[in-house]
Amino acid sequence: MCELFAMSGSQRYTAQEYLPPFADRSRDNISGWGIGFFRDGQVVIEKSQEEVFSGDQIHDSFNRLARVIDSRIILSHIRCPKSGHRKESHAQPLADEFLDHHWLFIFTGESSNLMAYQSPRPLVPEPLLAARVFECVRDGMESGLADQPRQSLYQVLARTCKRMLAQYPGEYMFFLANETVLFTFHNHSQVLTYHDPKARGDLLILTTVTGGLTSHPENWCSFAQQDPQRGQILIISGADLLYLGHL
Amino acid sequence: MCDLFALSASRSYTAATSLPLFAVRGRKNVHGWGIGFFHRRSPVVEKSGEKVFTDGRLHGSFQRLARVVNSPIIVAHIRYKSSGRVDECHAHPFTLDFWNQSWVFAHNGKAPAIEPYSSRLEPRLEAKSDSARILEFLRDFFVEAESRRSRTPFILILKDALRRLLREYPGEYNFLLTNGRVLWAFTNHRQFLLLKGSSKLEDALLLTTIDEGLSSENWKKIVAGPGSGGRILLIAGGDLLCLENLE
Repeated sequence: MCELFAMSGSQRYTAQEYLPPFADRSRDNISGWGIGFFRDGQVVIEKSQEEVFSGDQIHDSFNRLARVIDSRIILSHIRCPKSGHRKESHAQPLADEFLDHHWLFIFTGESSNLMAYQSPRPLVPEPLLAARVFECVRDGMESGLADQPRQSLYQVLARTCKRMLAQYPGEYMFFLANETVLFTFHNHSQVLTYHDPKARGDLLILTTVTGGLTSHPENWCSFAQQDPQRGQILIISGADLLYLGHL
Repeated sequence: MCDLFALSASRSYTAATSLPLFAVRGRKNVHGWGIGFFHRRSPVVEKSGEKVFTDGRLHGSFQRLARVVNSPIIVAHIRYKSSGRVDECHAHPFTLDFWNQSWVFAHNGKAPAIEPYSSRLEPRLEAKSDSARILEFLRDFFVEAESRRSRTPFILILKDALRRLLREYPGEYNFLLTNGRVLWAFTNHRQFLLLKGSSKLEDALLLTTIDEGLSSENWKKIVAGPGSGGRILLIAGGDLLCLENLE
């Protein structure tokens, strides 16, 4: 299974303490990696189809980027071999612009039906489940807000995810971020969160890696989801978990 | 009765059109005014005990500030005193720190029951008014709840705080609370009016308590319905993220 990472801070931080352990602990996923972040409101993505960890070393570019990228929100994805061909265009994050924002998206999960989803505005032509999920979520949010413009973003995202689960049962976990807010959704497994004590509570780390990314797994909070028919949405801004909603 | 105004956007904005309109439509409030925003994570408040509108003219400083203040979140208040003296110290917004963040707060309503509230924490606000005590009450509650921060969404702690506030100090509460990234609003009397994507004012999310809004456009009216303890709004990056009832 692919692994996801996010960092959200109240100011710009590098993720240099967390991205290398993320790569280290995801080293079985050899089909590519990506890091996405925001600069002046625009999305920047660096990604590769190469192994994030080979021999005894983290990919050189991944390591250097981890030291250099600073942003209030950073997303990273490490891709597992089950996700199809090793192509850079298949690596994540994916990005798009809708609802007046630039968005970054990373996904892990499985759904046999959703590959058949046909968006009126496909992101990439290739058969890539992450792209189909992103399209489905984006299309659902756009049409939901067009139909009922007075809904909150949480309401429209929750309705979109509910419909997706009903129409395309499967296991979904995604992180979706604009320059201000990070949304996560999952209906299986768990999201782990950690407040960096050195940043005086100013920095929140999220990951899907079991046990977290530090030597003290007990310091990580688990938001686990057992029932795949349902799911939960977290809303995060800065280092604060603002909202937790169950479908 | 005082009136409130807020602007939220994903990038810095001036409220050069909507702030003067807010002052004109709220000119019956003759006991001071204030504008709060954030500059490099630090709160900045400019306020005055003078009338915002006299002899058919806006207060010169208010007008100049409206043209100049440039921030993703701007909060403004014009005062009709129900508690405390008429001077700059009693004008809103107020600021206090908790959770390693600075917060800007403005209130509309009458809550005389909270005037005797005595905070056990420092600093205390100099103003002797219900509004100052409300912010101290919220600060104290969040400081006490800080150990829950990593696991508990902010909105649940805010709801706990509001339930205790309303139980122990019944009153009328309309307030805005922002850390410069997200804006929380609460109402249990009168209303908030919300507009996004204005073609006449700033193309940001605008919020006010002014009955008719600030333009002839389709403002969304948010009121606490019968049986509801109030309504909570979470706003960030120019979006209404959540709208919840306080049960």
